[in-house]
Amino acid sequence: MNLKKILNTNLVELELKGNSKQEIIENLLDILVKAGKVKDRSLALEAILEREAKMSTGIQQGVAIPHGKTDSVNELLACIGIRKDGVDFKALDGIPSKIFIMTLSPSTRSGPHVQFLADISRVLTSEGMREKLINSGTKEELISLVVKGHA
Amino acid sequence: MTHLMTVLVLQLAVIIVFAKILGWVFQNKLKQPRVLGELTAGMIIGPYALGSIHIPALHGSLFPLPDTTLPVTPELYGFAIVASIILLFSAGLETDLPTFLKFSGKGSLVGLGGVILSFILGDLVTVLYFDDVLHFMDPKALFLGTLSTATSVGITARILSERRKMSSPEGVTILAAAVLDDVIGIILLAVVVGVVKVETSGDGIPWGEIGIIALKALGFWLISTVIGIIVAPKLAKNLKRFKSMDMISIISFGFALFLSGLSEMVGLAMIIGAYVIGLALSQTDVAHDTREKLLGIYNFFVPIFFTIMGMMVNFAAMKGVLVFGLIYTAAAFAGKIFGCGLPALLAGFNIKGSLRIGAGMLPRGEVTLIIAGIGLSSGVIGQDMFGVAIMTLLAASIIAPPYLIKTFQGGSGYSSKLKDKDPGDIHTIDLDFPGQKMADFIREKLLDGFRNEEFFVHKIDYNKQIYHIRKDEVLITLNQEDDKISINTSPENEAFVRLLMLEEVLDLKDFLSGLESMKSPDMMGADLLMGMFGVSSGTD
Repeated sequence: MNLKKILNTNLVELELKGNSKQEIIENLLDILVKAGKVKDRSLALEAILEREAKMSTGIQQGVAIPHGKTDSVNELLACIGIRKDGVDFKALDGIPSKIFIMTLSPSTRSGPHVQFLADISRVLTSEGMREKLINSGTKEELISLVVKGHA
Repeated sequence: MTHLMTVLVLQLAVIIVFAKILGWVFQNKLKQPRVLGELTAGMIIGPYALGSIHIPALHGSLFPLPDTTLPVTPELYGFAIVASIILLFSAGLETDLPTFLKFSGKGSLVGLGGVILSFILGDLVTVLYFDDVLHFMDPKALFLGTLSTATSVGITARILSERRKMSSPEGVTILAAAVLDDVIGIILLAVVVGVVKVETSGDGIPWGEIGIIALKALGFWLISTVIGIIVAPKLAKNLKRFKSMDMISIISFGFALFLSGLSEMVGLAMIIGAYVIGLALSQTDVAHDTREKLLGIYNFFVPIFFTIMGMMVNFAAMKGVLVFGLIYTAAAFAGKIFGCGLPALLAGFNIKGSLRIGAGMLPRGEVTLIIAGIGLSSGVIGQDMFGVAIMTLLAASIIAPPYLIKTFQGGSGYSSKLKDKDPGDIHTIDLDFPGQKMADFIREKLLDGFRNEEFFVHKIDYNKQIYHIRKDEVLITLNQEDDKISINTSPENEAFVRLLMLEEVLDLKDFLSGLESMKSPDMMGADLLMGMFGVSSGTD
């Protein structure tokens, strides 16, 4: 999958402001809304929270992948955010989450949506990589780390 | 006329009942493919056996021998023709074209090797054995060569999945090779049928005409396939306006019949047109549903086809060719074992692995019968050679499974230098459910999940819940055994598979809470029961 096609510097935030799970999710959603491709912010938010209610997407080792299926987008959208201090995302391993990847995918259209999430999560399995991402100085650097890590 | 139709209807009645019952016995009691049961049914009730018994009420026998090249009446044979079109149309629909194009590598080497060597051996054996077959290009020799190429991996797929070897490097190679094998076999048939038509009309070898025919066959195949693949998505889109899968599937089948007639008109075999249409539609999103919708007529017609093929076996005519039959069968086996095994050896398998691949390509089935039927009806081969084809088919079905199981015992089939990147490193994810119905439900949900991710889901076996899930180079297999679902995947895709399963299982939560909010089943049951006796229910 071509991560480069989906990610660009407008879709990366190196310092998220939120202090709670809810705030972080809203931060990330705002990045996507700003990019101009979300038709209805509240519907999208509802989809993400609904998924989060079933089981936290704080997967492990400080990585969280909040996502949702909603008709308020026409194609797969993704953004990456970093919160160096870490936020309690009710992760399975209890470790505060620092790296967040949010995706929104259309509920009625097929496409490699879960595959995208899996691909990008795989990049984050090594601790060194996670360290580098958290400490990347620029948005370009972060994107190139993710793209290279995937290749 | 009335009498003709009366006999036809009675014939069909006897055929269907016998075919279904013997098919069931073979499958469930003898653990053999259903096809063999249907074939045997034909042999038993056919004109050379019970079918010849005089029935006073019919003023003759139920299956009298007509004065044509075929031992069954043209009316009855018409059903077999339609059945063969359904068979090849479905085969085309099931073809996984992206895999055929991308998985290629080892698979195509193996498939090609098997087709070429078994064609040459089948042809040569015929030339050497029969004094009246003068050269390699003799129609009879060409036909027996073609007959020897067809592989039917249904049996192999079943055995491999039972032994959990489906995702092994050998298993993947065999299945990829089989796709190629089908396509090449059918193109070969197209060319040979054309060539035979020219040759039987004159003396010597008309090389020029043969060339033209071969080009025409290839051209028709290529052009109609390309046009088909380009037009199919639009066609599917327009057909979808009817908003009825029944309409879509039956009209598609109408196209298959049309192109079958067309290919016969340009001098090719009918089934080629049917296969091409199926192949073109296989890439559209209506392929899956079309197959499901056609299952009804498939289950009705296809057993008739195999039974009619069995009826054409003339035991008396086979006596004289028993020795040849054995030699030909041995040649056909050698063609596959060495033809597929040697390329496998070159592609990095060791001797064990190569033998496994060769063994996996041995079974024969539908396509062999169709080719034999075409040969018999066009007069290229006689009843003796038709019998030989059946002999080979039976021998392969009896010998191949135990041989295959034996070869798959023991260690890796990969040569040591390639072991580092041995794709045989497969992870299995097992899920147990409280009951089979639950597992059935989850399986369908998971498959839908994969389809939504634009994977191509292909059911390997009509009777077992074994699926191949593919996209590009990714191959995942899903296997359901009663209340247990297991998924095999390479380590690189394990994260994806786990995530997808997780999402689908989480979706169940919605479904369950939906169920809970529903009126309690007891209440609903009471309502239904009350309605049965015309008492209006007191509950709301």
